[in-house]
Amino acid sequence: MRTAIARRCISAILFVVRNILGVVALAFGISVVAPFAVAQAPAQQEPQGNQQQTPQAAPPLAQQTPLPSNQAPAPAGPVIVLNPAHGGTDTGARGQNAAMEKDLVLQMARGVKAELERQGFRVVMTRNDDSNPSYDDRAAMANAYSDAIFVSLHIASTGTAGTIRVYYDQLSTPYAPSNETAGTRAKAVPPAAAGLNSWNEAQRAYLNSSHRLADLIQIMLVQKFSGSPLTPLGAAVRDLRSVAGPAVAIELSSVSAPDPVALANSTVAPLEEAIAGAITSFRAGTPGGAKQ
Amino acid sequence: MTRNWKIFIAILAAGVLIGLIGLRSLHRRMARLAQTEVTDEQARREVLAPPVSTPTDVPVKASIFWAGGPDGVAPVQIELPLSADPVQRSRQLLHALIADPPTPDQRTIPADTDLLGFYILPDGTAVADFSDALSTETPSGILSERMAVDSIARTLGSSVPGLRRLKILIHGQEEETLAGHIDLTGFFDLNQPGQQAVPSAPASAPSASPGAPPPKAPAANPVPSAQQTNPH
Repeated sequence: MRTAIARRCISAILFVVRNILGVVALAFGISVVAPFAVAQAPAQQEPQGNQQQTPQAAPPLAQQTPLPSNQAPAPAGPVIVLNPAHGGTDTGARGQNAAMEKDLVLQMARGVKAELERQGFRVVMTRNDDSNPSYDDRAAMANAYSDAIFVSLHIASTGTAGTIRVYYDQLSTPYAPSNETAGTRAKAVPPAAAGLNSWNEAQRAYLNSSHRLADLIQIMLVQKFSGSPLTPLGAAVRDLRSVAGPAVAIELSSVSAPDPVALANSTVAPLEEAIAGAITSFRAGTPGGAKQ
Repeated sequence: MTRNWKIFIAILAAGVLIGLIGLRSLHRRMARLAQTEVTDEQARREVLAPPVSTPTDVPVKASIFWAGGPDGVAPVQIELPLSADPVQRSRQLLHALIADPPTPDQRTIPADTDLLGFYILPDGTAVADFSDALSTETPSGILSERMAVDSIARTLGSSVPGLRRLKILIHGQEEETLAGHIDLTGFFDLNQPGQQAVPSAPASAPSASPGAPPPKAPAANPVPSAQQTNPH
Protein backbone atom coordinates (compact mmCIF):
# COMPACT_ATOMS: atom_id res chain seq x y z
CA MET A 1 0.00 0.00 0.00
CA ARG A 2 2.73 2.41 1.09
CA THR A 3 4.79 1.45 -1.97
CA ALA A 4 1.88 2.24 -4.23
CA ILE A 5 1.41 5.64 -2.63
CA ALA A 6 5.14 6.36 -2.92
CA ARG A 7 5.08 5.41 -6.60
CA ARG A 8 2.13 7.70 -7.23
CA CYS A 9 3.92 10.55 -5.45
CA ILE A 10 7.07 10.03 -7.54
CA SER A 11 5.13 9.97 -10.80
CA ALA A 12 3.25 13.10 -9.75
CA ILE A 13 6.56 14.86 -9.00
CA LEU A 14 8.02 13.72 -12.33
CA PHE A 15 4.91 14.98 -14.11
CA VAL A 16 5.22 18.40 -12.48
CA VAL A 17 8.97 18.61 -13.24
CA ARG A 18 8.42 17.69 -16.89
CA ASN A 19 5.74 20.34 -17.28
CA ILE A 20 7.90 22.98 -15.63
CA LEU A 21 10.76 22.13 -18.01
CA GLY A 22 8.35 22.32 -20.92
CA VAL A 23 7.17 25.78 -19.87
CA VAL A 24 10.78 26.93 -19.42
CA ALA A 25 11.66 25.60 -22.85
CA LEU A 26 8.68 27.35 -24.40
CA ALA A 27 9.67 30.58 -22.69
CA PHE A 28 13.10 30.33 -24.31
CA GLY A 29 11.56 29.47 -27.66
CA ILE A 30 13.28 26.09 -27.88
CA SER A 31 11.68 23.09 -29.49
CA VAL A 32 12.71 20.24 -27.27
CA VAL A 33 12.94 16.53 -27.12
CA ALA A 34 11.61 15.62 -23.71
CA PRO A 35 14.61 14.37 -21.75
CA PHE A 36 12.70 11.82 -19.74
CA ALA A 37 11.00 10.46 -22.81
CA VAL A 38 13.89 10.22 -25.23
CA ALA A 39 17.29 11.43 -24.20
CA GLN A 40 17.79 9.86 -20.81
CA ALA A 41 15.39 6.97 -20.64
CA PRO A 42 17.55 4.40 -22.44
CA ALA A 43 20.31 4.76 -19.89
CA GLN A 44 18.07 3.20 -17.31
CA GLN A 45 15.75 1.17 -19.51
CA GLU A 46 17.64 -1.83 -20.74
CA PRO A 47 15.14 -4.19 -22.37
CA GLN A 48 14.71 -7.30 -20.28
CA GLY A 49 13.76 -10.64 -21.71
CA ASN A 50 10.54 -10.57 -23.63
CA GLN A 51 9.45 -7.24 -22.30
CA GLN A 52 7.90 -5.24 -25.14
CA GLN A 53 9.05 -1.69 -25.53
CA THR A 54 6.30 0.79 -25.80
CA PRO A 55 6.52 4.15 -27.50
CA GLN A 56 7.02 7.02 -25.08
CA ALA A 57 4.76 9.23 -27.09
CA ALA A 58 2.08 8.62 -29.68
CA PRO A 59 3.57 8.33 -33.17
CA PRO A 60 2.52 11.38 -35.12
CA LEU A 61 1.41 9.75 -38.34
CA ALA A 62 -1.56 7.59 -39.09
CA GLN A 63 0.35 5.51 -41.64
CA GLN A 64 2.76 4.14 -39.07
CA THR A 65 3.06 0.41 -39.38
CA PRO A 66 1.61 -1.38 -36.35
CA LEU A 67 4.10 -3.22 -34.21
CA PRO A 68 4.27 -6.92 -34.91
CA SER A 69 2.45 -8.74 -32.14
CA ASN A 70 2.13 -12.30 -33.38
CA GLN A 71 5.79 -13.24 -33.34
CA ALA A 72 7.10 -15.69 -30.81
CA PRO A 73 9.25 -15.02 -28.98
CA ALA A 74 8.49 -11.32 -28.84
CA PRO A 75 11.48 -9.49 -30.28
CA ALA A 76 13.81 -7.64 -27.98
CA GLY A 77 16.28 -4.95 -28.91
CA PRO A 78 15.86 -1.69 -30.70
CA VAL A 79 13.10 -0.62 -33.02
CA ILE A 80 14.51 -0.14 -36.51
CA VAL A 81 12.86 2.86 -38.12
CA LEU A 82 13.20 2.51 -41.88
CA ASN A 83 12.79 5.77 -43.74
CA PRO A 84 12.06 5.47 -47.46
CA ALA A 85 13.04 9.00 -48.47
CA HIS A 86 10.89 11.43 -50.46
CA GLY A 87 7.33 10.53 -51.52
CA GLY A 88 4.29 12.31 -52.91
CA THR A 89 5.24 15.23 -55.13
CA ASP A 90 8.86 14.91 -54.02
CA THR A 91 10.08 12.28 -56.44
CA GLY A 92 13.75 12.40 -55.49
CA ALA A 93 16.20 11.34 -58.18
CA ARG A 94 14.73 10.40 -61.56
CA GLY A 95 16.22 7.91 -63.96
CA GLN A 96 15.46 6.03 -67.12
CA ASN A 97 12.04 4.55 -67.85
CA ALA A 98 10.46 7.06 -65.47
CA ALA A 99 12.14 5.35 -62.51
CA MET A 100 11.79 7.52 -59.43
CA GLU A 101 13.76 7.38 -56.22
CA LYS A 102 10.61 7.66 -54.07
CA ASP A 103 9.15 4.45 -55.54
CA LEU A 104 12.39 2.48 -55.58
CA VAL A 105 13.27 3.23 -51.97
CA LEU A 106 9.75 2.33 -50.83
CA GLN A 107 10.05 -0.99 -52.64
CA MET A 108 13.48 -1.55 -51.06
CA ALA A 109 12.24 -0.61 -47.60
CA ARG A 110 9.31 -3.02 -47.80
CA GLY A 111 11.64 -5.86 -48.76
CA VAL A 112 14.18 -5.03 -46.07
CA LYS A 113 11.42 -4.70 -43.46
CA ALA A 114 10.02 -8.14 -44.26
CA GLU A 115 13.47 -9.73 -44.05
CA LEU A 116 14.37 -7.99 -40.81
CA GLU A 117 11.06 -8.97 -39.19
CA ARG A 118 11.66 -12.55 -40.25
CA GLN A 119 14.86 -12.37 -38.21
CA GLY A 120 12.97 -11.08 -35.19
CA PHE A 121 13.72 -7.37 -35.43
CA ARG A 122 11.01 -4.84 -34.76
CA VAL A 123 10.67 -2.55 -37.75
CA VAL A 124 8.64 0.59 -38.32
CA MET A 125 8.43 2.48 -41.61
CA THR A 126 8.01 6.24 -41.77
CA ARG A 127 5.79 5.83 -44.81
CA ASN A 128 4.20 2.83 -46.45
CA ASP A 129 2.57 4.55 -49.39
CA ASP A 130 3.14 7.50 -51.69
CA SER A 131 2.80 10.04 -48.89
CA ASN A 132 5.53 12.53 -48.00
CA PRO A 133 5.77 13.10 -44.24
CA SER A 134 7.88 16.09 -43.28
CA TYR A 135 11.44 15.62 -42.08
CA ASP A 136 10.30 16.42 -38.56
CA ASP A 137 7.40 13.94 -38.69
CA ARG A 138 9.79 11.21 -39.75
CA ALA A 139 12.25 12.10 -37.00
CA ALA A 140 9.39 12.24 -34.49
CA MET A 141 8.49 8.64 -35.30
CA ALA A 142 11.98 7.54 -34.30
CA ASN A 143 12.08 9.85 -31.30
CA ALA A 144 8.86 8.34 -29.99
CA TYR A 145 10.77 5.17 -29.10
CA SER A 146 13.27 4.98 -26.30
CA ASP A 147 15.58 2.65 -28.23
CA ALA A 148 15.25 3.31 -31.95
CA ILE A 149 17.75 3.09 -34.78
CA PHE A 150 16.93 5.28 -37.76
CA VAL A 151 17.93 4.06 -41.23
CA SER A 152 17.12 6.32 -44.15
CA LEU A 153 17.16 4.80 -47.64
CA HIS A 154 18.09 6.75 -50.77
CA ILE A 155 19.05 6.18 -54.39
CA ALA A 156 21.45 8.67 -55.95
CA SER A 157 21.42 10.24 -59.40
CA THR A 158 25.16 9.76 -59.72
CA GLY A 159 27.91 7.31 -58.84
CA THR A 160 28.95 3.98 -60.25
CA ALA A 161 25.92 1.70 -60.58
CA GLY A 162 25.81 -0.94 -57.87
CA THR A 163 27.97 0.92 -55.34
CA ILE A 164 26.52 1.98 -52.02
CA ARG A 165 27.46 4.58 -49.44
CA VAL A 166 26.52 5.01 -45.82
CA TYR A 167 26.33 8.53 -44.36
CA TYR A 168 26.27 9.79 -40.81
CA ASP A 169 25.25 13.32 -39.93
CA GLN A 170 28.12 15.71 -39.76
CA LEU A 171 27.56 18.56 -37.37
CA SER A 172 30.32 20.89 -36.35
CA THR A 173 31.24 21.92 -32.85
CA PRO A 174 29.08 24.80 -31.68
CA TYR A 175 29.97 28.04 -33.37
CA ALA A 176 32.19 30.22 -31.23
CA PRO A 177 31.49 33.87 -31.97
CA SER A 178 34.32 36.36 -32.05
CA ASN A 179 34.85 38.59 -29.02
CA GLU A 180 33.13 41.62 -30.44
CA THR A 181 29.95 39.69 -31.26
CA ALA A 182 29.86 37.40 -28.26
CA GLY A 183 27.59 39.69 -26.32
CA THR A 184 25.14 40.01 -29.16
CA ARG A 185 24.95 36.26 -29.62
CA ALA A 186 24.55 35.61 -25.93
CA LYS A 187 21.47 37.79 -25.92
CA ALA A 188 20.08 36.44 -29.17
CA VAL A 189 20.45 32.72 -28.50
CA PRO A 190 19.87 31.69 -24.90
CA PRO A 191 21.48 28.39 -23.94
CA ALA A 192 19.23 25.36 -23.83
CA ALA A 193 18.20 24.17 -20.40
CA ALA A 194 20.36 21.39 -19.03
CA GLY A 195 19.19 17.94 -20.09
CA LEU A 196 17.14 19.25 -22.99
CA ASN A 197 18.09 18.75 -26.62
CA SER A 198 17.24 21.28 -29.25
CA TRP A 199 14.97 19.61 -31.78
CA ASN A 200 17.00 21.09 -34.63
CA GLU A 201 20.17 19.49 -33.31
CA ALA A 202 18.80 16.36 -31.68
CA GLN A 203 21.33 14.26 -33.57
CA ARG A 204 24.27 16.09 -31.99
CA ALA A 205 24.21 13.92 -28.86
CA TYR A 206 24.36 10.75 -30.98
CA LEU A 207 27.04 11.63 -33.52
CA ASN A 208 29.52 9.09 -32.16
CA SER A 209 27.06 6.21 -32.05
CA SER A 210 25.74 7.10 -35.51
CA HIS A 211 29.29 7.17 -36.85
CA ARG A 212 29.99 3.78 -35.27
CA LEU A 213 26.82 2.27 -36.71
CA ALA A 214 27.65 3.73 -40.14
CA ASP A 215 31.12 2.18 -39.91
CA LEU A 216 29.63 -1.23 -39.19
CA ILE A 217 27.04 -1.07 -41.97
CA GLN A 218 29.56 0.18 -44.54
CA ILE A 219 31.99 -2.62 -43.64
CA MET A 220 29.22 -5.16 -44.18
CA LEU A 221 28.06 -3.54 -47.41
CA VAL A 222 31.48 -3.21 -49.01
CA GLN A 223 31.75 -7.01 -49.00
CA LYS A 224 28.54 -7.28 -51.00
CA PHE A 225 28.79 -4.20 -53.24
CA SER A 226 32.25 -4.08 -54.77
CA GLY A 227 33.54 -0.64 -55.62
CA SER A 228 31.85 0.93 -52.62
CA PRO A 229 33.98 3.01 -50.27
CA LEU A 230 35.53 1.25 -47.29
CA THR A 231 34.41 3.84 -44.80
CA PRO A 232 31.19 5.82 -44.38
CA LEU A 233 30.98 9.48 -45.27
CA GLY A 234 29.91 12.43 -43.15
CA ALA A 235 27.39 14.82 -44.64
CA ALA A 236 24.75 17.30 -43.53
CA VAL A 237 21.88 14.97 -44.40
CA ARG A 238 18.63 16.71 -43.55
CA ASP A 239 16.83 13.43 -42.75
CA LEU A 240 19.13 12.75 -39.81
CA ARG A 241 19.40 16.11 -38.08
CA SER A 242 16.44 15.85 -35.72
CA VAL A 243 16.70 12.18 -34.85
CA ALA A 244 17.50 11.62 -31.17
CA GLY A 245 19.25 8.30 -31.60
CA PRO A 246 21.70 6.47 -33.84
CA ALA A 247 20.83 7.45 -37.40
CA VAL A 248 22.36 6.71 -40.78
CA ALA A 249 21.45 7.24 -44.41
CA ILE A 250 22.21 4.56 -46.99
CA GLU A 251 22.39 5.65 -50.62
CA LEU A 252 22.56 3.26 -53.55
CA SER A 253 24.00 4.36 -56.88
CA SER A 254 22.18 4.97 -58.99
CA VAL A 255 18.84 5.67 -60.49
CA SER A 256 20.71 6.15 -63.80
CA ALA A 257 21.57 2.44 -63.98
CA PRO A 258 20.23 0.63 -67.08
CA ASP A 259 17.56 -1.12 -65.01
CA PRO A 260 17.17 0.68 -61.68
CA VAL A 261 14.16 -1.42 -60.65
CA ALA A 262 16.15 -4.65 -60.95
CA LEU A 263 19.06 -3.00 -59.17
CA ALA A 264 16.83 -1.96 -56.26
CA ASN A 265 15.33 -5.46 -56.06
CA SER A 266 18.73 -7.12 -56.04
CA THR A 267 19.83 -4.82 -53.22
CA VAL A 268 17.19 -5.91 -50.72
CA ALA A 269 18.74 -9.16 -49.47
CA PRO A 270 22.35 -7.92 -49.04
CA LEU A 271 21.09 -4.67 -47.54
CA GLU A 272 18.97 -6.52 -44.99
CA GLU A 273 21.90 -8.80 -44.09
CA ALA A 274 24.19 -5.80 -43.67
CA ILE A 275 21.72 -3.87 -41.52
CA ALA A 276 20.91 -6.89 -39.36
CA GLY A 277 24.58 -7.83 -38.91
CA ALA A 278 25.66 -4.29 -38.18
CA ILE A 279 22.88 -3.69 -35.65
CA THR A 280 23.69 -6.94 -33.88
CA SER A 281 27.36 -5.92 -33.62
CA PHE A 282 26.35 -2.40 -32.66
CA ARG A 283 24.12 -3.71 -29.87
CA ALA A 284 26.91 -5.94 -28.61
CA GLY A 285 29.03 -2.83 -28.19
CA THR A 286 26.26 -0.83 -26.52
CA PRO A 287 24.71 -3.03 -23.84
CA GLY A 288 22.81 -0.07 -22.38
CA GLY A 289 20.68 0.39 -25.48
CA ALA A 290 21.08 1.86 -28.93
CA LYS A 291 21.10 5.39 -27.66
CA GLN A 292 24.26 4.96 -25.64
CA MET B 1 44.71 8.41 -122.51
CA THR B 2 43.93 11.72 -124.16
CA ARG B 3 45.23 15.02 -122.87
CA ASN B 4 41.76 16.01 -121.71
CA TRP B 5 41.46 12.91 -119.53
CA LYS B 6 44.83 13.68 -117.90
CA ILE B 7 43.72 17.23 -117.09
CA PHE B 8 40.41 15.93 -115.69
CA ILE B 9 42.16 13.38 -113.43
CA ALA B 10 44.65 15.99 -112.20
CA ILE B 11 41.84 18.41 -111.32
CA LEU B 12 39.95 15.58 -109.59
CA ALA B 13 43.04 14.59 -107.54
CA ALA B 14 43.63 18.21 -106.55
CA GLY B 15 39.99 18.47 -105.48
CA VAL B 16 40.21 15.35 -103.34
CA LEU B 17 43.40 16.64 -101.71
CA ILE B 18 41.83 19.99 -100.93
CA GLY B 19 38.73 18.19 -99.64
CA LEU B 20 40.79 16.00 -97.30
CA ILE B 21 42.63 18.99 -95.89
CA GLY B 22 39.37 20.89 -95.48
CA LEU B 23 37.62 17.93 -93.92
CA ARG B 24 40.28 17.63 -91.25
CA SER B 25 40.05 21.27 -90.30
CA LEU B 26 36.23 21.06 -90.41
CA HIS B 27 36.32 18.13 -88.01
CA ARG B 28 38.58 20.07 -85.65
CA ARG B 29 36.25 23.08 -85.72
CA MET B 30 33.23 20.87 -85.03
CA ALA B 31 34.98 19.28 -82.05
CA ARG B 32 35.83 22.72 -80.71
CA LEU B 33 32.24 23.88 -81.15
CA ALA B 34 30.93 20.80 -79.35
CA GLN B 35 33.26 21.49 -76.41
CA THR B 36 32.31 25.11 -76.06
CA GLU B 37 28.59 24.70 -76.49
CA VAL B 38 26.99 27.31 -74.27
CA THR B 39 23.52 27.34 -72.92
CA ASP B 40 21.39 30.45 -72.93
CA GLU B 41 22.12 30.87 -69.24
CA GLN B 42 25.89 30.73 -69.82
CA ALA B 43 25.67 33.16 -72.71
CA ARG B 44 23.67 35.51 -70.53
CA ARG B 45 26.24 35.22 -67.76
CA GLU B 46 29.07 36.06 -70.13
CA VAL B 47 27.30 39.29 -71.03
CA LEU B 48 25.90 40.28 -67.64
CA ALA B 49 28.45 38.80 -65.24
CA PRO B 50 31.86 38.81 -66.84
CA PRO B 51 34.83 37.57 -64.82
CA VAL B 52 35.55 39.87 -61.91
CA SER B 53 38.59 42.08 -62.40
CA THR B 54 39.94 44.51 -59.80
CA PRO B 55 42.96 46.86 -59.68
CA THR B 56 44.54 44.73 -56.94
CA ASP B 57 44.47 41.50 -58.95
CA VAL B 58 47.68 39.48 -58.66
CA PRO B 59 48.26 36.13 -60.37
CA VAL B 60 48.10 33.49 -57.64
CA LYS B 61 48.16 29.71 -57.67
CA ALA B 62 44.83 28.88 -56.11
CA SER B 63 43.30 25.54 -55.17
CA ILE B 64 39.93 24.97 -56.76
CA PHE B 65 38.09 21.91 -55.51
CA TRP B 66 36.42 19.91 -58.25
CA ALA B 67 35.29 16.27 -58.22
CA GLY B 68 38.36 14.20 -57.49
CA GLY B 69 36.94 10.68 -57.66
CA PRO B 70 33.67 8.92 -57.01
CA ASP B 71 33.28 10.05 -53.41
CA GLY B 72 34.70 13.49 -52.94
CA VAL B 73 36.39 16.62 -54.17
CA ALA B 74 40.11 17.23 -54.66
CA PRO B 75 42.12 20.42 -55.18
CA VAL B 76 43.38 21.44 -58.61
CA GLN B 77 46.03 24.15 -58.65
CA ILE B 78 45.33 26.82 -61.23
CA GLU B 79 46.79 30.28 -61.68
CA LEU B 80 44.15 32.95 -61.28
CA PRO B 81 44.27 36.73 -61.01
CA LEU B 82 42.90 37.19 -57.49
CA SER B 83 41.93 40.40 -55.77
CA ALA B 84 43.20 41.51 -52.36
CA ASP B 85 39.61 42.30 -51.38
CA PRO B 86 38.14 39.11 -49.85
CA VAL B 87 34.68 39.62 -51.34
CA GLN B 88 36.00 40.11 -54.87
CA ARG B 89 38.51 37.31 -54.35
CA SER B 90 35.71 34.96 -53.32
CA ARG B 91 33.66 35.92 -56.36
CA GLN B 92 36.65 35.30 -58.63
CA LEU B 93 37.23 31.86 -57.09
CA LEU B 94 33.56 30.86 -57.34
CA HIS B 95 33.44 32.10 -60.92
CA ALA B 96 36.39 29.83 -61.76
CA LEU B 97 34.79 26.93 -59.89
CA ILE B 98 31.59 27.24 -61.91
CA ALA B 99 33.02 28.13 -65.30
CA ASP B 100 36.35 26.32 -65.68
CA PRO B 101 36.29 22.67 -64.56
CA PRO B 102 39.20 20.81 -66.21
CA THR B 103 36.84 18.14 -67.58
CA PRO B 104 33.05 17.84 -67.66
CA ASP B 105 33.26 14.86 -65.28
CA GLN B 106 34.91 17.04 -62.65
CA ARG B 107 32.11 19.57 -62.62
CA THR B 108 30.43 19.91 -59.23
CA ILE B 109 28.30 23.01 -59.81
CA PRO B 110 25.83 23.19 -62.72
CA ALA B 111 27.16 25.31 -65.58
CA ASP B 112 24.10 27.53 -65.55
CA THR B 113 24.60 28.55 -61.94
CA ASP B 114 25.10 32.25 -61.29
CA LEU B 115 26.59 33.79 -58.20
CA LEU B 116 23.99 36.48 -57.52
CA GLY B 117 25.62 37.98 -54.48
CA PHE B 118 28.45 37.46 -52.04
CA TYR B 119 28.85 39.12 -48.67
CA ILE B 120 31.22 38.80 -45.74
CA LEU B 121 29.96 39.72 -42.30
CA PRO B 122 32.24 41.10 -39.57
CA ASP B 123 32.40 37.77 -37.73
CA GLY B 124 33.84 35.99 -40.79
CA THR B 125 30.55 34.54 -42.01
CA ALA B 126 30.42 34.38 -45.80
CA VAL B 127 27.02 34.47 -47.45
CA ALA B 128 26.91 33.15 -51.00
CA ASP B 129 23.69 33.70 -52.90
CA PHE B 130 23.32 31.49 -55.98
CA SER B 131 20.72 31.40 -58.72
CA ASP B 132 18.00 28.75 -58.78
CA ALA B 133 20.08 26.61 -61.14
CA LEU B 134 22.23 25.45 -58.23
CA SER B 135 19.17 23.89 -56.64
CA THR B 136 17.27 22.76 -59.72
CA GLU B 137 20.16 21.44 -61.83
CA THR B 138 22.37 19.77 -59.22
CA PRO B 139 21.65 16.05 -59.58
CA SER B 140 19.49 14.94 -56.67
CA GLY B 141 21.34 12.74 -54.20
CA ILE B 142 23.48 12.93 -51.07
CA LEU B 143 26.62 12.17 -53.08
CA SER B 144 26.26 14.90 -55.70
CA GLU B 145 24.87 17.52 -53.32
CA ARG B 146 27.64 16.88 -50.81
CA MET B 147 30.22 17.35 -53.56
CA ALA B 148 28.62 20.62 -54.65
CA VAL B 149 28.66 22.08 -51.14
CA ASP B 150 32.15 20.76 -50.38
CA SER B 151 33.58 22.21 -53.56
CA ILE B 152 32.23 25.67 -52.70
CA ALA B 153 33.22 25.55 -49.04
CA ARG B 154 36.68 24.12 -49.52
CA THR B 155 37.55 26.40 -52.45
CA LEU B 156 36.68 29.44 -50.33
CA GLY B 157 38.25 28.02 -47.18
CA SER B 158 41.57 27.32 -48.84
CA SER B 159 42.06 30.63 -50.64
CA VAL B 160 40.22 33.35 -48.72
CA PRO B 161 41.80 34.08 -45.36
CA GLY B 162 39.55 35.18 -42.52
CA LEU B 163 36.43 33.26 -43.51
CA ARG B 164 35.03 31.13 -40.71
CA ARG B 165 31.76 29.74 -41.97
CA LEU B 166 29.55 29.78 -45.03
CA LYS B 167 25.85 30.26 -45.55
CA ILE B 168 24.40 29.23 -48.90
CA LEU B 169 21.27 30.99 -50.14
CA ILE B 170 19.29 30.17 -53.27
CA HIS B 171 18.00 33.27 -55.04
CA GLY B 172 18.13 35.25 -51.84
CA GLN B 173 16.24 32.73 -49.76
CA GLU B 174 17.21 30.08 -47.24
CA GLU B 175 16.28 26.67 -48.65
CA GLU B 176 15.80 23.62 -46.45
CA THR B 177 17.95 21.44 -48.71
CA LEU B 178 20.09 21.87 -51.80
CA ALA B 179 18.25 19.35 -54.01
CA GLY B 180 16.37 17.25 -51.48
CA HIS B 181 19.16 15.92 -49.28
CA ILE B 182 21.89 18.23 -48.00
CA ASP B 183 20.77 20.61 -45.28
CA LEU B 184 21.17 24.28 -46.17
CA THR B 185 19.55 25.71 -43.05
CA GLY B 186 22.82 25.76 -41.16
CA PHE B 187 26.28 27.15 -41.74
CA PHE B 188 29.26 25.28 -43.13
CA ASP B 189 32.49 25.64 -41.21
CA LEU B 190 35.47 26.70 -43.30
CA ASN B 191 39.23 26.48 -42.88
CA GLN B 192 39.33 23.00 -41.46
CA PRO B 193 42.27 21.40 -43.26
CA GLY B 194 41.70 17.80 -44.25
CA GLN B 195 38.03 17.81 -43.36
CA GLN B 196 34.89 18.04 -45.38
CA ALA B 197 32.82 21.14 -44.88
CA VAL B 198 30.56 20.60 -41.95
CA PRO B 199 27.37 22.41 -41.06
CA SER B 200 27.06 24.45 -37.90
CA ALA B 201 24.00 24.99 -35.84
CA PRO B 202 21.01 25.86 -37.97
CA ALA B 203 19.64 29.31 -37.51
CA SER B 204 16.92 31.33 -39.05
CA ALA B 205 18.74 32.83 -41.96
CA PRO B 206 18.02 36.18 -43.38
CA SER B 207 16.79 36.48 -46.90
CA ALA B 208 18.43 38.58 -49.50
CA SER B 209 17.66 39.43 -53.03
CA PRO B 210 19.79 40.93 -55.74
CA GLY B 211 19.97 44.59 -55.17
CA ALA B 212 18.75 44.34 -51.61
CA PRO B 213 20.89 45.18 -48.59
CA PRO B 214 23.17 42.34 -47.55
CA PRO B 215 21.69 39.87 -45.10
CA LYS B 216 22.63 39.83 -41.45
CA ALA B 217 23.77 36.68 -39.72
CA PRO B 218 21.87 35.99 -36.53
CA ALA B 219 25.04 36.01 -34.47
CA ALA B 220 26.61 38.97 -36.13
CA ASN B 221 26.85 42.56 -35.30
CA PRO B 222 24.02 44.09 -37.28
CA VAL B 223 26.08 47.13 -38.29
CA PRO B 224 27.19 46.68 -41.92
CA SER B 225 30.91 46.67 -42.46
CA ALA B 226 33.09 47.89 -45.26
CA GLN B 227 33.54 44.30 -46.36
CA GLN B 228 29.92 43.96 -47.32
CA THR B 229 29.35 44.74 -50.93
CA ASN B 230 26.52 44.35 -53.28
CA PRO B 231 27.77 43.10 -56.60
CA HIS B 232 24.72 44.33 -58.48
